Amino acid sequence: MLVVGVDIGNSTTEACVAELGTGPAVYLGSALARTTGVKGTTENVHGAERAIRAALTEAGRGMDELATVLVNEATPVISGLAMETITETIITESTMIGHNPDTPGGAGLGVGTCVAFAELPGRVAGEEVVCVIGTGVDFEDAAAGINAATARGVVVTAAVVCADDANLIVNRLGRPVPVVDEVTLIERVPLGMRAAVEVAEPGRTIRTLSNSYGIATVFELDAERTRMIAPVARALVGNRSAVVVRTPAGDVTDRRIPAGSLTLHGERGRRTVGIAEGAEAVMATVRGIAPVIDAHGEPGTHAGGMISQVRDTMSELTASPVDEVRIRDVLAVDTFVPQRMTGGLAGEFALENAVALAAMVRTSQGPMALLAEELRRALGVEVRVGGVEADMAVLGALTTPGTDRPLAVLDLGGGSTDAALAAGQVHSVHLAGAGDLVTKLIDAELGLDDTELAEQLKQHPLAKAESFFQLRMEDGTVRFRDEPLPTECFARVVVLGEHGFLPVPTSHPVEKIRNVRRSAKHRVFVVNAVRALERIAPGGDLRGLGFVVVLGGSALDFEIPDMIAEALAPYGIVCGTGNVRASQGPRNAVATGLVTAHAARPAEAAR
Amino acid sequence: MGRTLSLTERGPATPGRHSDEVVIGISPAFGAFFSKTIVELPHAEVLRELLAGIEEQGMRARVIRYRSGSDLAVIAHTAARYSGSGIGVGVLSRGTTMIHQKQLLKLSNLELFPQAPLLDLETFRKVGRNAARYAKGESPEPVPARNDYMARPRWQAKAALLHIKETEFVTPRAEPVELEVAISLADAG
Repeated sequence: MLVVGVDIGNSTTEACVAELGTGPAVYLGSALARTTGVKGTTENVHGAERAIRAALTEAGRGMDELATVLVNEATPVISGLAMETITETIITESTMIGHNPDTPGGAGLGVGTCVAFAELPGRVAGEEVVCVIGTGVDFEDAAAGINAATARGVVVTAAVVCADDANLIVNRLGRPVPVVDEVTLIERVPLGMRAAVEVAEPGRTIRTLSNSYGIATVFELDAERTRMIAPVARALVGNRSAVVVRTPAGDVTDRRIPAGSLTLHGERGRRTVGIAEGAEAVMATVRGIAPVIDAHGEPGTHAGGMISQVRDTMSELTASPVDEVRIRDVLAVDTFVPQRMTGGLAGEFALENAVALAAMVRTSQGPMALLAEELRRALGVEVRVGGVEADMAVLGALTTPGTDRPLAVLDLGGGSTDAALAAGQVHSVHLAGAGDLVTKLIDAELGLDDTELAEQLKQHPLAKAESFFQLRMEDGTVRFRDEPLPTECFARVVVLGEHGFLPVPTSHPVEKIRNVRRSAKHRVFVVNAVRALERIAPGGDLRGLGFVVVLGGSALDFEIPDMIAEALAPYGIVCGTGNVRASQGPRNAVATGLVTAHAARPAEAAR
Repeated sequence: MGRTLSLTERGPATPGRHSDEVVIGISPAFGAFFSKTIVELPHAEVLRELLAGIEEQGMRARVIRYRSGSDLAVIAHTAARYSGSGIGVGVLSRGTTMIHQKQLLKLSNLELFPQAPLLDLETFRKVGRNAARYAKGESPEPVPARNDYMARPRWQAKAALLHIKETEFVTPRAEPVELEVAISLADAG
């Protein structure tokens, strides 16, 4: 008897074909297709049909030979994402230019009164000035003007330039001074005020203006004033160049946006936690009341906005009223987002703190019977709905060589991280946050605004094209090529994708992208893996789990399974990526489980 | 007030050994028979901006004249082959410009600015800057290429004439020569 097991997942639909006889099931072929529509709806029929036909083709069998199609009881959970920044850096009265032009000129610290370039001839000998060079001044003229002033005895200690001219000017000065360039809004630099300009040697960072007491020394500030400029110093840490202008009321504030609070209802009570307290506090609260029954955000705040955003998307997807959507799990992740500083003079960016929320929503039981009926009509074959997804996943995972009960399954998907433990009966949990959240974090933290690119960066390792024939891999090894790289890859960071090399159109170095990628995966998958296993482990102790089999699309990732294995190493568990039927890797577990369960059934009935 | 360009030949050009240099290759009549681009930008200013863009990045520049042809790809590629960093910039008298790399095929390029009438001095500065940044092993954003679909019909005839004229100055089989560049302010009046 020929049967097909079909697993409809959030993003992929998997199928496997098997021949059932007197002995164990003989697997003939497997296939996967993209899930059409929202999981658990009748729109899934097209994807399911495609996967079934592909599996049959691989097996070399026809649709007319097929006896039964087995479909899993799709877990009625879907997930949503939201992200909000919770801090904001505001510069008032143009106190600071903290941007990092690529090529500042000179080196050292210069302090003086801000004087426009045109006013330079009017200054008297002995005066200490910082020359402010606006638009339209040629670099040769600028250098000649400064040299002339210096010859008259005016002490030009530094310069601030609008154009990208710093080195061109410094190279033409009799006595080089620090010069900061590319200050786009130079007309807003307050003239007549005292300013300090600092440029560090290449490869170093500024030392004086990034230190509160350094600024206090330069401007002779008292304790009270020093307290006020402390945020300026903090904002300049790590820069190669900076300008600080002392204005009477100038200030930089590092404001925490009132982010609001999250109220979590759980089986063990109800608690409220402020989003601004950070992800750790939110997650501690979730752990305290878990499992979550519902969550609400404070209306009119970011927290409220995020939760209602998730609710709206979910109600739209499931076509159910907004107030019937129940949030069953929340994962909060700390992140940072590059944002343009309000009030900056040179388009300065600051990394603002942000919180990303993933929420898991339980939908009303999907119309599985309807789906089965549609599928039967499309294929003309008997369709059986049966088997809870988690049970089937465990059965499928057990076909991995070297596993035994008690066996825990960790299913890393796109929208959710699921875990199930088979010890007697199967116990399972579904947690919010998985691959999609990682993509979102990478997108936001690198300031890409390109989900496709973020997805590529998540899935593949990086390299730097050092020449047309030489690639330096992210681990430092070099790979030589016989064929030249495409021109658009030259000198760029490239993603080693399946379809060749994809240039990354940002100026982030390889190390930065790699760090963001790995940390995003860590914050989502490692955190969720431990959280999920704690929830299903007997007594919450991970040591009670014997074997952990990692399944799902994200288990195919080149580093996530290793990161999880590393995190679980201290508990003495056997943890690894599944290899369903010793051939399918972490894929096809549920489909295989469906067939296994079906094959066992007649035997039980015969007894 | 304008600047004058004086180019002095200093013998046959030789391949550079410094990895911090970018070579600018100019066409047979650049700064010689011709002194302006197709839109009357003085060659003195064009070369000055290219050199300034390279200098601002802390790199050195060398200028050579390509004499045996007027094909931009060949000029730019030759500049790249003579460049210690492997990065070269080619410029035609009418203003068309290209950034090249020595390992690339001649007909390929890193960045091409095909519409000479749309190139202003700011763009030439950016071309110099990007060439220097490639030479440093950085990954610059390509200079935004402007495009005007009317430029072709409007300027094509003049461009063709300029190209024919430039080609008249080609000396077959002549080797590229090293140039010493002096750009000075012309006396007013």
